[in-house]
Amino acid sequence: MSRGRVFLLLLLLPVCRTVQGAEVPQTDTLSAASVSSVKTVPVLRAAEEIDLQEAAAPPVLVADVLRRFTGVQVKDYGGVGGLKTIHVRSLGSEHVGIFLDGIQVDNAQNMQVDLGRFSTADIQRVSLYNGQRTRRLQTAKEYAAGASVYLDSGLPAFPDGNGGRFRFRTGAFGTLNPALQWGTKLGRRLTFQGSAEWLRSNGRYPFPCFDTTLVRENGDIRSLRLETRLDGRLNRGHWQLHLYAYGSERGFPGPVIRRAMGFPFSAERQADQDLFAQGTWEQDWTPRYSTALRAKYANQYTHYNTHPERNPMALPYNLHYRQQSGYLSLAHSFQVLENASIEASTDLQRNALNSDAGQFVTPRRTTFTGVVAGRWTGATLRAAAHLVYQGAWDHYLTPQAGGWSRAQRYRDAWMPSVSLSWTPKPWLEASLFAKRSYRLPSFNDLYYSLMGNASLEPESALQLGGDLRFSHAAGPWSVHLRLSPYYNRVSNKIVAIPTVSQFRWTMLNIGRADISGADARADLSFRRGDWTGSLTLRYSFQQALDHSREGSPSWGCQIPYIPRHSGGIEALVGWKGWTIAWSTLLTGSRWSRSAATADYYLPPWSISSLSLDKTFCLPPLRGRSIAPQLQAGVVCDNLFNRPYQLVQGYPMPGRNILVTVTYSW
Amino acid sequence: MKNIRSWWWLCGLLTVWACQKAPDQPAAPSEDARLTGKTVSVADFPAGIRKVFVLNEGSLGSNNATLDFLRLSDGMYITGAFRQMNPDAGAGLGDVGNDIAVHGDEVWMVINNSGIVEVLSAADETELAAIPVPTPRNIAFDDRYAYVTSWAGAFTTGSYDENGRYILTDYANPKGRLYRIDLQTRAIAGQVEVGYQPEGVTVYDGKIYVANSGGLSSQIPPDYAYDRTVSVIDAATFRVTGTIPVAVNLKSAFSDGKGRLYFTTLGNFYDVHSALYVLEADQPERVSKVTDYISVAAILGDTVYCVGTESEFDWSGAPRSYRALTVQNGAARKMTLQLNAIQPYSLAVLDAQTLLVGDAGDYFNPGSVHCLRNGTVSWTVTAGVCPGHFACW
Repeated sequence: MSRGRVFLLLLLLPVCRTVQGAEVPQTDTLSAASVSSVKTVPVLRAAEEIDLQEAAAPPVLVADVLRRFTGVQVKDYGGVGGLKTIHVRSLGSEHVGIFLDGIQVDNAQNMQVDLGRFSTADIQRVSLYNGQRTRRLQTAKEYAAGASVYLDSGLPAFPDGNGGRFRFRTGAFGTLNPALQWGTKLGRRLTFQGSAEWLRSNGRYPFPCFDTTLVRENGDIRSLRLETRLDGRLNRGHWQLHLYAYGSERGFPGPVIRRAMGFPFSAERQADQDLFAQGTWEQDWTPRYSTALRAKYANQYTHYNTHPERNPMALPYNLHYRQQSGYLSLAHSFQVLENASIEASTDLQRNALNSDAGQFVTPRRTTFTGVVAGRWTGATLRAAAHLVYQGAWDHYLTPQAGGWSRAQRYRDAWMPSVSLSWTPKPWLEASLFAKRSYRLPSFNDLYYSLMGNASLEPESALQLGGDLRFSHAAGPWSVHLRLSPYYNRVSNKIVAIPTVSQFRWTMLNIGRADISGADARADLSFRRGDWTGSLTLRYSFQQALDHSREGSPSWGCQIPYIPRHSGGIEALVGWKGWTIAWSTLLTGSRWSRSAATADYYLPPWSISSLSLDKTFCLPPLRGRSIAPQLQAGVVCDNLFNRPYQLVQGYPMPGRNILVTVTYSW
Repeated sequence: MKNIRSWWWLCGLLTVWACQKAPDQPAAPSEDARLTGKTVSVADFPAGIRKVFVLNEGSLGSNNATLDFLRLSDGMYITGAFRQMNPDAGAGLGDVGNDIAVHGDEVWMVINNSGIVEVLSAADETELAAIPVPTPRNIAFDDRYAYVTSWAGAFTTGSYDENGRYILTDYANPKGRLYRIDLQTRAIAGQVEVGYQPEGVTVYDGKIYVANSGGLSSQIPPDYAYDRTVSVIDAATFRVTGTIPVAVNLKSAFSDGKGRLYFTTLGNFYDVHSALYVLEADQPERVSKVTDYISVAAILGDTVYCVGTESEFDWSGAPRSYRALTVQNGAARKMTLQLNAIQPYSLAVLDAQTLLVGDAGDYFNPGSVHCLRNGTVSWTVTAGVCPGHFACW
């Protein structure tokens, strides 16, 4: 398969392929012969999925991949180093689990995972699940997340286990971004893969500042990522060990506000050091009984400094945070019948947060998550159901008259879900799911000094969704359509409000939002001889209404930042190693407050990007079956130089051009 | 004349302000007569007030401070007046309006996170000057100067060059500053170091009293402690002449014009409640507590009006019941005020029968201003986000 070949993105595969039994399990490495359909065929499909190694000219940041997905809203504070989080169908980022190779990447402090930190250099596949991913041997936390994004770092970049890839990216914002991946076989059963990536960007770009044009300052970033992976095969099993280190130093350019002359917008800097080690061991003990053991240790250090010496307006914060977590998960899968299986998983996690911030309560959290799930796979009907129990013990210091004392609190929740899928014809599939999930209050919600409220309850999300998929192929053409209506209700929503004084805020479980919407997607693809082409249209409708406090001015108003209409167009043509791709993202008008007044109106925007890629196949190296390739690409983002903002006060970059050269061997 | 001046001294108070009958002046034809808004009843409002300005704070980082005013000639409540009268000021009023006061025919506003003290014409809200001051908080006047408390002076010492740029010389000192702005030139005419994170400021008898909060110091190393002092500055020499210990986390400062100085505190949010303290200008060491539970306060003449709640440390979100007091000559008296369903965020007293109460609602969307006549709500209008400060002209 040629690397430059246009891989017909996403959902091209699902329906027909699975029915033909051709879908390859993504994480299972069992030999195909011993695998029956209940082990391999998921009940619900990914709403969106992209294979980054195969896709032509994929975006470089995972956040840029996700922003094209239907139902996803990226909150982006702009620039290479700006925080990027996602909302899925109006569920906040706290409800969206990000899973790297099946193990959650989490952050107990604020429950926001910065997607800007994930580069596509090491990620094989990105998938989004609205309901429940139902594979065997999942962790309990996978069942507990409201919506899930799966990032699979994968070996298949080097099909025979040996090889490497060097990618270099440069262009706008003073970006220098070399990334190296290298893999080798250590014996018949062991594979090693290492990767390193360095990024530097000055983050400078012009933006319209009220009636003038300024250059965004203090948005620079330097980062270094080092990873190694060991993958081992066992008799009827496999294991993986993954070590990850990431360090960055970046500036936060701050919101664009009125500033007295001579005062910068911001001089805030943050330095991060993230380390984790995670491992997985999957084993089939009998043809019907398998287990997976997973473990992770993570250590995240953050140093935040407002640098008052450079900004006379800054409040003088110079704070250090260290977050540690230990995680252990054991999953069992019993295949009770040829077409039915029972899954049981238990997860145990310990989180600790330390800081030198004032009145810091040094919270500790021990979370137990347990799930029992069942799957059944019939000829045309598939079903899955699960019940999760999650309990979290928090221990924290609490201020008492004359001193501090240790306090504790237990929170728990039951989370059920049912999924059903029906494939009456090879070209038609319908599915339904219902799911209730909870997200625990974050440490910031509970214990942030002068703001947290230690008596918060978990925030709940009820999701009901349907999915109708149609696919048809005729000669060189194939077409795929998807329509997914849904209804979500977020209740006990955690909202920050000030108390009797504006100096003392509190968090309360007072919010409620009712979200009804639909995602639609159409794919048309063409393949004949050297020519490939594809066209993808996406559209999302979201009516997300605030139903927090009856009689308040925001009752019945659209939730801030949620556009009623959004969508995108992607077109791609490939010929003999050349690929030209066009992408347009469209977002309707929004308001940054519930009050739909002119002051808080954010106009609709559309931005387009155009990319051109060429892949050259070089003569094979001695002793290698795979020919090395050289790929060169140029991408122009925001082609028409439209000013736009995803978060009010945080302008996004205008037209910018980045060049990528990749050599793989 | 002295008497009128002393009223101006009272103007620059925190969340709150109050109005005093000024001598009747002929109404000048104004450019802002074309602005319209919601009509409310202003019958029997005190004579001599032409406009009541309302400064809406907005939210930090959202650049959405706005200026409203109530025009007494026709009872119109007009929102967003700054932007309407200054269409060329693209950036609007700025980020976090923290104080407003009227001096003569000028409106002075302290725009905290923009680092600007904004001067407007009271007659038509057009901009007269925008004076840079780092993290300014509150303002008060005497006959020559405006005095502005500043946090960031806090962390930096510096001066402005001829182009108005701020040149830093030192940043190691975390104490706050009091800036002095010449009323004729509208330029900074000196600064003096006070306590940690100074808030309210008031002027009486040639002395400037600054309430130091320590609101930030309580959150950061090394001391994690609130300030508890009032700094006394001699207006003639512009030097600190005394430091009076009062209580933790001071907020507002008022002078009753008869030698008594009142200070409100926020408490520490755990075991020390908010309170009102009084001291005599000629015996500053004798500080006494008047009452606990002060959420908002305002002064009219020699009387401080206070609203507070005993359940101020209840973070559960349960509705609170508020009680109101008037304090005169250091003694508190109960006052009947119907505050059902109102969360008082700010207070202005036009006369003993007429109060305006700002309600910030959810603090995120536009709040409201309620008019209370003889203790009961007479009308309510929608204001901007966090209507926090009032001033009368």
